[in-house]
Formats: sequence, C-alpha cells, structure tokens
Amino acid sequence: MSYQTNTSQPGASPAGLSSSDRWREWVDRHAGTFFIAPAVSLILIFAIFPTIYSMVFALSRVRFTGDGLKFRYVGLRNFEKQFFGSSEVHFLGRTEPFSIFGMLVFAVIVVAVLWWLYRSWKTATWVRMLGRSISAAMAIFLGYILCASLLSGNAIGTLYTTLFYVLVGCFVQFVIGTGLAFLCSQPIRGRNFFRVLFFIPLMVTPLGVGFAMRMIADVTKGPFEPILGVLGLQDWVWSASPWSARFVMMICDSWQWIPFIFICMLAALENVPRDHVEAAQVDGASSFHIFREVTWPQVVPVAVTVLLIRAIEAFKIMDLPNIMTGGGPGSSTESMTLHSVYVWRANDMGSSAAIAYLLLILTVVVCASFFNYVVLGQIRKTRA
Amino acid sequence: MSGAHTKFDLQNRGLLEKMFEPPAVGKMAPVAKIVVYSFLAIWSLFVLFPIYWVIITSFKDAAAVNQGPSYFPFVDFQPTLDAWRINFTADPYCDMAAIARQLYLLAHNSVAFVLSPVVTIPPMEPQICKIYLAFTNSVVISIISTIFCVAVGSMAAYALARIQYRPKFGNIMIFVLLIVGVILATTYAGVPWWMSSAVALALFFFLARALGRHFKMSLGNGDILFWMISQRILPPIVVVVPLYVMFQAVRLLDTHLALILLYAVANLPIVVWLMHDFFANLPIELEESAQLDGATRFGIFWEIVMPLTRPGLAATTLLILVLNWNEYLFAVFLSTVKVQTMPIMVAAKNTGEKGVLWWEMCAVTVVMIIPVIIMAVLLTRFISKGVLLGAVKG
Amino acid sequence: MTIRKSLLGLTAGAMALVGAAPAAMAGEFDGVTVNILTRPGYVIAGRLVERGVEFQEATGAKIVVTEVPYAEIFPKIQSDWSTGTNSIDVGVFAAGWGVELDAAGLLEDLDPYIAKDDKIDLDDVAPYFREFGQKVGGKTKLLMVDGDFQMVYYRKDVLDAAGVQPPKTWEDYLEVASKIHGKDMNGDGEGDFGSCIFKKRNAQSYFAIQTFAAPIVQTQGTAQGFHFNNATMKPIVNNAGWKKAFELYKETGKYGPPEELNLDIGDTRALFKAGRCGLLVEWGDPGPLQLDDDATAIKGKLYAISALGSREVLNRATGELVPVNNVNAPHAIDGINYAPFAAFGGWAGAVNKGADQKTKDAAYAFLSYMNQSAQSSVDVTIGATGYNPYRLSQLSSPDLFVKAGMPQALAENYIGAINGALNSLNMASDMKIPGAQKYTSVVLDTELARYLAGEISVEEALENIEEGWEEVTEDFGRDEQIAAQALALGS
Repeated sequence: MSYQTNTSQPGASPAGLSSSDRWREWVDRHAGTFFIAPAVSLILIFAIFPTIYSMVFALSRVRFTGDGLKFRYVGLRNFEKQFFGSSEVHFLGRTEPFSIFGMLVFAVIVVAVLWWLYRSWKTATWVRMLGRSISAAMAIFLGYILCASLLSGNAIGTLYTTLFYVLVGCFVQFVIGTGLAFLCSQPIRGRNFFRVLFFIPLMVTPLGVGFAMRMIADVTKGPFEPILGVLGLQDWVWSASPWSARFVMMICDSWQWIPFIFICMLAALENVPRDHVEAAQVDGASSFHIFREVTWPQVVPVAVTVLLIRAIEAFKIMDLPNIMTGGGPGSSTESMTLHSVYVWRANDMGSSAAIAYLLLILTVVVCASFFNYVVLGQIRKTRA
Repeated sequence: MSGAHTKFDLQNRGLLEKMFEPPAVGKMAPVAKIVVYSFLAIWSLFVLFPIYWVIITSFKDAAAVNQGPSYFPFVDFQPTLDAWRINFTADPYCDMAAIARQLYLLAHNSVAFVLSPVVTIPPMEPQICKIYLAFTNSVVISIISTIFCVAVGSMAAYALARIQYRPKFGNIMIFVLLIVGVILATTYAGVPWWMSSAVALALFFFLARALGRHFKMSLGNGDILFWMISQRILPPIVVVVPLYVMFQAVRLLDTHLALILLYAVANLPIVVWLMHDFFANLPIELEESAQLDGATRFGIFWEIVMPLTRPGLAATTLLILVLNWNEYLFAVFLSTVKVQTMPIMVAAKNTGEKGVLWWEMCAVTVVMIIPVIIMAVLLTRFISKGVLLGAVKG
Repeated sequence: MTIRKSLLGLTAGAMALVGAAPAAMAGEFDGVTVNILTRPGYVIAGRLVERGVEFQEATGAKIVVTEVPYAEIFPKIQSDWSTGTNSIDVGVFAAGWGVELDAAGLLEDLDPYIAKDDKIDLDDVAPYFREFGQKVGGKTKLLMVDGDFQMVYYRKDVLDAAGVQPPKTWEDYLEVASKIHGKDMNGDGEGDFGSCIFKKRNAQSYFAIQTFAAPIVQTQGTAQGFHFNNATMKPIVNNAGWKKAFELYKETGKYGPPEELNLDIGDTRALFKAGRCGLLVEWGDPGPLQLDDDATAIKGKLYAISALGSREVLNRATGELVPVNNVNAPHAIDGINYAPFAAFGGWAGAVNKGADQKTKDAAYAFLSYMNQSAQSSVDVTIGATGYNPYRLSQLSSPDLFVKAGMPQALAENYIGAINGALNSLNMASDMKIPGAQKYTSVVLDTELARYLAGEISVEEALENIEEGWEEVTEDFGRDEQIAAQALALGS
C-alpha cells in the first residue's frame, strides 16, 4: 500500500544524528505503517485469509485421513445439496405445495421489487444499479421461500428460522427497548439505577442465559409450574412444538439483547435538547405529541443504526438454541450457524463451510441493503 | 417543529390526555408516574428473576429441584452448599492453591514456549481440577487478549483519524489474488504453506512496486475504516474450520496463544469503531503543538492523546473484556484439553446421566456470570456519562 | 568426620536400595500424564477419575479426564489424532467407533501389551465383547470397561396391580403402556407415565429405534445384520419393517411424558428413579440404579426383559411383513422373533498410536487396571458408574448383585436377562464399520427426530435415511464398506 502522510515532519535535527536518533526518525516517518500494520495484518491473517480458505472447503469434499486433511474438488455440489439435494428441506423448508395465497403474495412482492428497481433505473449509476439488483434478487428469493413455505402452510427450514430470529426478534427488541428507554428518559428518580440494572442481561454469558432460561422454562420443575397449572396448561410443553419453541427462543434472546437497544436509545433520548421538549410542553402538547413530533425525528438516525448493529449480531445466534433445545424438536430452532456446527460434527466440513458461506451472503446482502437504503437515507435526511 | 401556539387545543382534551398532562414543565402527572414506575418495576423483575433463580438453584439439592419449584431460601427449601462442594472440592486436585499453581504453570509454559528454539524446557502438565483450570484459562486469556486488542485497535484508530492513507485499489486486488493462489497451491498442489506464503509475499512486494504507479484508483481512510468495522459482520462459523486447520499446521492448537490472537481479531472492529470516534473528536491543536515541539507520533499518542480518552478507553476495555469472557464458539473449536474456558466447561455439564444436575450447573454458571455482572456495573458508570454514544451517532 | 560422613552415605545408600525394591512399581510411571477424553457427567468419567487417583498412588502416572458433550467425542478425537495434535492419549467411547479410527491407522495395537500383562484376564470377558467389542481386524485395539445391551424394564408392582403380564412384543408393550398410563406409580397422587424413552435429538434416541427395528428385520442370526444388504451395502431401511418400527416408536409417545421429545437419558433416569415410569427402554444401568439412595421409590421393583420381539418379520425379497414361521425366523420362540440389540457395543478405551511410548505404556496399564476383574466387578454393581456387566464372572451368578443389595429374585431376573441377550443366536449387533457414527447418530437420528416432531412423514424419513446412508457409503467407498461389514459381522 502506498500512502502519504500529511503531517509535517517532527522538528528536523541538523546533520550529525546518532544512529539511534536516525533509527527513531525512520520509525517516526513510517509511523503511519507501524500504527496500522498490526491491525491490518491481524485482520488479513485471521479474518480475510480464513474466509477465502473457507470457500475452498465449501467447494471440496474434505476427509480426515491418517496424514491429515485431504481435499477433493467437487464444484458447487455442497451448495447444491442445500438448495436442491438431500438437505433442501432442512435448509429451505418444505416448498410444496405452493398455495394460492402464497402465489398471490409472491406476485405482489415481485411486482413491488421490480417497480422499485425500475424507479431507481433512471437516477442511478451502474454501481448503484448493481447493488440494487443484488438486493432485489435476494428480496425475490426470500419472498419466494417465504410464500412457498410459511404462507403455504408448510414447515420452514433453518434459513427462515434464522430470519425469524433476526427480523421478528429485532423488531420486538426494538419496540420494547425503545419503550423502556422512553420511560427511563422521563423525569424520574433512580434513572442511573435502572440504567445499571437493565444493562446487566447484555453482559451475561449467552450460555448462562441459555441454562437459566432452560431451567425457568421447564414445565415441571420451573418456577412457572404453578401458574401453568392454574391456566390449565400443565401438559403443554413448549419444546415439543416448532413454533412455540421458536417463540420461547426469541423471548430468551430478547431478554439478553433488549438492554443493548435500551442503552443506546436512552443515550439518544437524553441527548434531545430539553428546550424543544419544554417549549412544546409549555405550548400544551401531550407527551405523545411531543414524542412523535419532537423527540422521534431527532432519534431516528441512532435508532436505525442501533437496529442495524443488532441485526448484524442477531444473524450469528447459536448458543441459545444449542443449549435450550439442541436444535429444537426436529430441527425447528436451528439457526444457520447451529446447522453448520451440527454438520461439522458429522465431519462433513464441506457442507458446513457451504452453509456458513450462505449465512455470510445472507447477512451481508440484508445488512448492506438495510444500511444503504434505510440508514444512509435517514442520515441524509437529518443532515439536509 | 412548528411553534404555533394554536396547534394545541387546550380546551378540548380527551380524558386520557388530561390524565397524563404534566402539572408543570419538567415534571410528570401522578398518573403518568404510576404507569412509568410500574412498567419499570415489572421490567426490573423480569431482568432480575433469571439471575436470582440461578443463584438460589445453586444452593439447592436434588430434592428441592426435582419435586417442583421452590422460590425462597429457608422458606421453601433448605439451602445447602452441596453443589459448590462437588464442583470445587470433590476433585482431589481442587484446593485453594490451585489457581496459584495454575498461574505459575502458565508462566512456566509460556517461558518454555518462547525459549523453545533455543533451549528445550519440558512443559508442565496441569495439576488442578477442571473448574479452576477453566477459570484461570478464562481470566488469563480474557485479560491478555483485551489488552492486546485495545492496544492494536487504538493505534489503528488513531492512525485512521490523523493520517491519510491512500492504498491503491489495484494493489489490493493483487494481494487478494495472491492469497487465493496461496490457498489453492497449499490445498490442491500440496505445496507447504510456508513456502507458498513466502513466495506470495515476495511476489506482492515486487508487483506492487512494479505496477503501483499504473493504478489510478485509490481508497481513503473512510474505506479502510469501513472495511475494518465491517469485519464484525463476518459470522465466526465461516472462519472456524480454516482457522482450525491453520493453527494445527503451526502446532498452536489447544494453546492460549491461539485463543488470545483470535479473540483480539474478533473484537478489533469494535475497538476501532469506538476509539476512532473518540480520537476524531479530540481537538487537533494539542497534537500539532506537540509536533512542533519535536515529539514523535508515538510519543504524542502515548502521552497526550491516550490520557485524554481515558474514560472512553476504560469503557471500551471493559466491553471487550466481557465479550472475551463470554466467547464460546472459537474456544470450542480450537481447544481440546488444556485451554478449556469457563463457557466450555459449563456447556459440558449440559448432559448427565442422572438428569441434568441443575444445581451443580448453576453453581458453575454463577461463577461464570458474577464477574461479568460486576464488570457490567462498572461499565454502565462510563456509559452514563454519554461516553459511548458519540460512536453510535457517528 | 569423613568416616562418619561415608558411613552415613553408606547407610543412606543401603536404605535407598532396600526401599527401592517395592517402590520400583510405585514410581514406574512417575511424571507421565495420561489425557483421557470421554463423555461428561459422573457416568463413565467419574469412575475413571476415581480409579485414576488409585492408579496414581500405585504407579505415579497422573490421569486427567476431560469431558466434552457426547456428540463431540468422536469428532474431537478424530481431528486430534489424525491431525497429529495429540492432546489426547486415550479415548473412551463406543466400541463400534473404533473401526473408523483404526481404518485411518490411529489406534495402538494392544496385543503386544496384553502378552506382557499378567494381571489382565481376557478369557473372562464375554466372547461377544472380546471378539466384537475389543478386536478390530482380528487385533485387540480396545479394552472394554462396560458392556451394553438395550433391554426393556417394567415396574413389577404396577403391572401386577393392573393385572397385566410383562410384554413379549412391541405391540404388547404399547398395550401394557396404555393400561398403566396415568396411574399413580409412586404414591404422590399424580398420574404417571406408561412408557419413558429418551427421544431427544443428538442424544440416545437412535439406539432405541434400532431396538424396535431389530426383531422385525433380523431373523437369520447376528451375521445377517439389519441395516444393510451385506453383499451390496444397499440400505434396507426403506421398507415395511422399519416403517413399522418407526410407527410403533412414535406411538409410545402417547403413553409417555409430554416433553419426551426433549428428554435425554439423564432426564428419563431422573424420571424413573422418582418412580414415574411404568415401562422403560434402557441399557443395563437401571438394574443397579434402583439400589441408589435417591431411588427408594423403585427399589426392588424394576424387572428386566432381555428383548421384545415381533410376530411379524420382514420378507426382504418383497419388502413386506409376513408372520413368523420356522423358515423365515429359525430363532423364533413361540412364534415371536427376538433380536436383542447390543446398542452402542459398550464403552471401551483406545490408545492413541501417535502418543509417545511411555505415555502409551501408562495408558495401557490404566485401561488394563479398569478392565481387570478386581475393579470391574465392583464398578458394575454401582449403577451410577454407568458400567454394566460384560465379564463371564459377573454374569455367571447373581451373587455379585445380591451382595450389592438386590433381592435374590431380582438379581436372578437381571442376570438372566443379560445372559439371555448375550447367548441369543439372533443378537443384533450395532454398526461397526467406518462411518458408523455418521450413519446412525447423524442421518438416522436427524430423520427420526424430524419424523417424531411431525416435520416429515415416515416414508420421507425412511427415504432420506436411505439416501443419506448411500451418500456415506459412497463417500467411504462401497467395496471398502462391504469388506468392513463382513469383518464386523463375522461372516
């Protein structure tokens, strides 16, 4: 990499420098490299290199033999297996029969996406069009799977289970987190106490959360047993049915992550200038009005950023479903990371890498799309 | 926002609005107060209850757990120290000096490892019980890795805030192509990895120098920053298997060094992101005057800039410490026997042929989460000073 | 001065020599550490730790036992040994898994050590375990610490009270379960469960289903097997026989605990020890487990049946079920075909070939110590250890268990059940070919779990299993698998 420093040289010493001085000066001149080199090298060696290496795994059949690993190139077969082969139902869910309702919704989605593409055709550059086409393709693909599986009354696979955790989970967490932040931003006493208290779940080891939740959700030995008995639900087992298992998983994940949204939104709400709010109050606006007209617009940029960060983390969920249900009844609470781990345990490292890569692609496209169209849009709006 | 007075009709208000109308600016209506406090109280219960449950279960015995839930110590059940005893003292090698022994062993083995090219010192084998081993491993790895991560990340963040970089896009492409070449050569053609890496590195410097001037397009600081921060999007599962193979090739599997390096990389994006914001917000005059006085870059960084960002630094360090403490996936893949950390040990207790021994598991879980809860409390004191918000807004 | 010094020196030397004689054995493995990897919990691992302390006092070798989740034992050992990392010296795992590790040349051959060992008594090990459990390719590569069969247990008191006979076939099992389901079996006023089976995914469920399938599919003796057509290694799962097994297995859920799909062996054991199960499918552990302090509700009441059979068997040519007769089921008794399933094969220890010699010596010595009658016969009577009888001396008379506290009748029933299984000519063997773990604990287990959860139909499950097994077979090489299967079944 070539670079220029735009800082002036440190005070130049006259000729006749000692060798250690010269050495120090040389180091200082290249300070730019030395400062950034460790970070760059670490990321290159331990993140970029393995990611590319992982692609080789995904394209091969890997075997353990007496002298280590042997790779056999098989092209896209591992990926094919996930979409069309023996792993299709596990990964994508069941996609037939395709109901009428599903087909209708899918048609609507396709039309909406294509119209959005067409609208941006006129005003965008080639690079931007490429980005939008990728987003559009992903949207159509996900829409197809959704309509063919869930909306047609069929079971969903790990792909959509992950998306469930991300989309529904983030939404719930955002609503509750922002609500809590709003409550805490009111002139109440003990705000710092609540801030500290509500922050704790975020820091607890996810494994610990998993165990705690598993114990608590246990229907015979957990603390809710008498309540369930009163409600007549004592024979209900949340872990026996796919959707209830997923919901419980999402609730437990929310327990851990709502604090994150809470902290960020609280800080944002606290930074809204008080004079605007007070002026509105003097004018006689109700709290609801104040929130909607005054506070919220100022807070939106932070809100969407927080949502993006939360979504990025949510795609990686693994500890909780692993501990609480071992993947759920059948495979219904398996996230894609967990799916990949289980496949790895079966010593099928090629498929494991393929699933990991699919997760990477999904995460990148969804998050980048969200970032580009929502986050940047909001930031542009506030700056305007 | 329109400041028009006529916008809000003070006369025709609904009952609900009247109830929540603040009596004065900056205060809340009594009804509103009740509603707010009760919601907060409910949520506090929701937050504390699982932790409370874990703690009291660690003091229960089999009967208290299996015969249905019991809620209050001394009222519903008799607390015992059984679970704690079994976990911490039942193994013959568990005793008070265990942690001290383990730390000494780690120091001994690190010295042996460092000096291994020169003189061979046989490594000491762990002599302590699993729980202390896991605890010491967790502590050592978290702390060292955090220090390393924050150091490297702060330096990079500072550099990105103050120095302009212009890496040529072409050079980057060459680099990526060479990486692909190294991987293909090593996996399919069986070339030893050190040979292919050395060749690739040499090629890179040669090509960069030769072709560098032909490349026009270059990236800027913003791109580099974005690249570093976006590494966080990478799901760890994508890299664990190759990392396993890589570490095995250099015989670093099941060692502390491997986990320290890995944890540092995993959290580098967060450090860079947070610290960059702090550095960018510092007034540049201080540093410029120091430069005129002849200070070196590193001198400015260490003596002037770092002390100014102490609260932010502390907050970042605590956050990374907690994240490292909780990390599970890398540890599970890269450790076998010697480097088991607390999360792995707790996870291994997940099955048992006597039923999951909830009380034992809770005892270990308590040991695992109490340190992080303490760290979390410390961390919030920094956050309440609005220290981390700037980064989020940026 | 000098005379005194030399005198002192002489005395010290003499004492050292005298003291050295018995101490030679004591310090034989001083400074050696043996790393063992096995499953978590007190079961299996706990005893290794305790005996490890004794072993250390006797020989100076330090035994370190590391526990990993059950599903990770095999991958961890395989990757550790085949990549040359060698953090682990001994693996204690299912005897059947040794075949794949041995095929990659990772197991140390133990015959030379056995030849020099005068304390080990391999003739006392039951022939089935000695030949099929410990040996791979004719050479001893593993040493058993535990022998495994899946049996059915019943609460004698509950069945007597309901006036039903112990079941003989799986249909009987369902009938008995339905009759006793909901009755209060432990006097706490709550209804209890007819049948408890560990159906959790990634646990032990895939063994239980094979116990159901074996008597329907295997009729001609152990060498026939019930997984593959041995000549071609084509799976024989997609047929009416396995279909019936799957359906029966699912139906037991009607008389089981509501969260049965999330129960693993630990949870079901807690249940039946609390007295809440009328029928069980389990290994040999419940026998001695009922003597535990926390099992007072069932002490002396849990009786064993070596196997349940089937009145219908699979006609492999047509793929349909036919009633039992002398030709298609020569080992049938009273019109019922039995095939006791040696699930899991038993926990056994194998030594890493890549470890250094001193460590291997110590590792072998420890495994031998665990295997020897003096230790083993104590361990198998303690239910909590997870070790079940596998030596002839343990199985020839009920005295061992009577001494441990079992009533005479119960001990006779227990020993009788195990012997009945061991001596059966139609005993069904667990898979002992490369990829065994993949075939069963991955493919079979996943599809079974999805079928039980209602995600897929039984036909789809069986099809998926067939497809998955074919993939594994192709991966290892069909011809190699045919040869391995022939070796495994002793045909």
